[in-house]
Amino acid sequence: MAMRRRLMTLSATILAIGLAATTVLAVKPEGNRATRENGRVIYERSCLFCHGAEGKGDGPAGWFIGRYEAPHPRDFTSEGFKLRSTESGSLPTDQDLFRTVTRGIPGYMPSFAGLTETERWQVIAYVKSFNPAFQTETPAPLLLGGPAPLASPTSIETGRALYVRFECQACHGIDGRGDGPVSEAGDLKDASGLRIFATDLTRPLSFKNGSSPQDLVRTLMTGLDGTPMPSYAAQLTGKEDEAWYLAQYLLSLSSGSFP
Amino acid sequence: MSQRSITLGILMAVAATIASAFVHPEAQAIPPFARKYNVNCTACHTAPPILNPFGQRFLENGYQLPGTEDGGIIGKKKLGDVTLDDVTNFVGFRMVGNVTRSWSFKQQNPPGAAAGVVQNKTEFTFPDAFTMFTAGTLTKNVGFMVELGHDVEGGTTAVERGFVTFNNIGYHDLAHVRVGRYDPSAFYSYVTIRQQLNDVVESTTSGCTPFTPCGLNRAGLAPSAFAAKFYGLYQRDGTAISPFASSLFNSGGETGVDIHGRPFGDWFLYQVGVLNGANEGFGDSNKGKDIYAMLRFDYAKSNNFSANISGFVYRGYSNAKVQSQDDVNWNRYGLSARATYKMVDIYAAFAVDKIDKTPTAVAGLFDSTATGLTIGADTYVTNKTLISLRYDNLDAGGMLDQRKSATFVGLQVKQFLRTNIAIFARNDFNVRKSEGSDTAARNLRNAFFSGVDIVF
Repeated sequence: MAMRRRLMTLSATILAIGLAATTVLAVKPEGNRATRENGRVIYERSCLFCHGAEGKGDGPAGWFIGRYEAPHPRDFTSEGFKLRSTESGSLPTDQDLFRTVTRGIPGYMPSFAGLTETERWQVIAYVKSFNPAFQTETPAPLLLGGPAPLASPTSIETGRALYVRFECQACHGIDGRGDGPVSEAGDLKDASGLRIFATDLTRPLSFKNGSSPQDLVRTLMTGLDGTPMPSYAAQLTGKEDEAWYLAQYLLSLSSGSFP
Repeated sequence: MSQRSITLGILMAVAATIASAFVHPEAQAIPPFARKYNVNCTACHTAPPILNPFGQRFLENGYQLPGTEDGGIIGKKKLGDVTLDDVTNFVGFRMVGNVTRSWSFKQQNPPGAAAGVVQNKTEFTFPDAFTMFTAGTLTKNVGFMVELGHDVEGGTTAVERGFVTFNNIGYHDLAHVRVGRYDPSAFYSYVTIRQQLNDVVESTTSGCTPFTPCGLNRAGLAPSAFAAKFYGLYQRDGTAISPFASSLFNSGGETGVDIHGRPFGDWFLYQVGVLNGANEGFGDSNKGKDIYAMLRFDYAKSNNFSANISGFVYRGYSNAKVQSQDDVNWNRYGLSARATYKMVDIYAAFAVDKIDKTPTAVAGLFDSTATGLTIGADTYVTNKTLISLRYDNLDAGGMLDQRKSATFVGLQVKQFLRTNIAIFARNDFNVRKSEGSDTAARNLRNAFFSGVDIVF
């Protein structure tokens, strides 16, 4: 009995230490001057080459990312952040920025998961200092509805019908290969007038905003500001199940990636 | 340019246009680092193999993302979980091949030609060079690189570069160490092994005997600033050193130890090193080691602009011999600069080669100073079309009865079918007068090449 008690005490202690350690690691540093200064050092070592010293997306290496095509590196001083969980036209949340820094953007920006969590938070604090709107606005994430319904042939068929109803095929093509007539005609441009290609939905690893069902629903609801990809929040708010069905259909387009 | 060259060029352009029409425009991440980090090649390159500032810092940091000591953890699995697919994150291949070569060549009776013939021919050759390389990080701040090259025409295979890196010793960016066979000029403003116009080796008489002049039939086409520049200079085993071959600091591959870093912030990069020298693939037969030091100033902030300027001193010790078999100390002093604005990349390098003391046996017969100037520019004129121009002037030194200076201008059009597959057409012409002689530096009047450059 005494042995059991000791084991329980030991287990509880280990659990408490583990939780404390996890909490410490995940703690977001206060957005004060010291944090921003630490962030500046990291930014100038890691981010400046593409995003530029003043965060305008005009770093010395940035131009080559897309050469004459979109995307070019983000101009932090402007509006139109693509990767958000917030309403279209809004700023991203800190968590959105953290997700982007951590995951990177497939094809364009490497993951900086090699930085510690604290370092990532510090650099985010510095990046936000480029845009005064971050001081006055408190971006709030959209509610993405309840838990994802289980995928089934019916739900995927419903998703396919939504795909057609929302005219996704105009850009992404009937098979989702990014070869819709609008994209093929070269008519898709980003906010700066650069040509942009519709995402090939059969290659989920190339999805810029992530490829989990949650990521897809978020993209559908928020859109990708600054690109032709609109927000479908107006059509899908209150019908969150339909957003999930559409996401399930999109994932079914790539063989083997069905959730 | 000959009628035939023009026809070939037109055919290449038509083929490129047709091929482009069938290739999906979306950028693909193919070569190993791009695969590993899931980014496009252009995250690190202006136009492969030339690096942009982000790629330069990635290289300086020992194949870790700039500002991090990630150890390549991105996408890396535990050893037991590694599959064959993961190997592709570490291995890459490059195949550069001239499909056609068309020489306008004024030498009488060149090797392989019938007597009394001036060689003026077009030939099919494919591929010229095949390279396999593996590079990455073994763990945090420990990286490696091995590059195996096969010269198809020469029939040789060799480890062109192979080294281990130990990074961020002391604190971040204080000191990075490379040990092995590496390119000393990797951090110079104009890097030897990163050229749009690939080196074309010279043609020499076969069966040359040691310490006797080896007949140069056709000039090599390589950056003059990097070239050996001297006629009548020999390796320690008596093999003649081509005046057109990249050498010393700009050799592209020498064995030694190199330390570089940025302890004073982003503005300055220092580099010091010690090499076996003596132009040897492996081992060391010279009496002393060669040493070098390089300092580079960088400006890379905003406005899609970057610039840098660098200078180096390379001191050789008994690293070559002259015809009399006396040892000489062969040194080089170089300056280089590069400026990049959006799609335009301009670079230049100037080098002075100096033999310390001319041995008595060749006194009055040997010019101990030689210089080389190379100016280049690359620019994308469309998203897929890269135009490169290079000017080379070699004021040769060495044996007065052999030396001949050379000036060439090369122009290349490269069409990217994908980010990692390109076809190109190139023409080089001799700016100096023929003089009607058989001298290699003058007898090659014009050269046209077309080929492919594939990295995967």
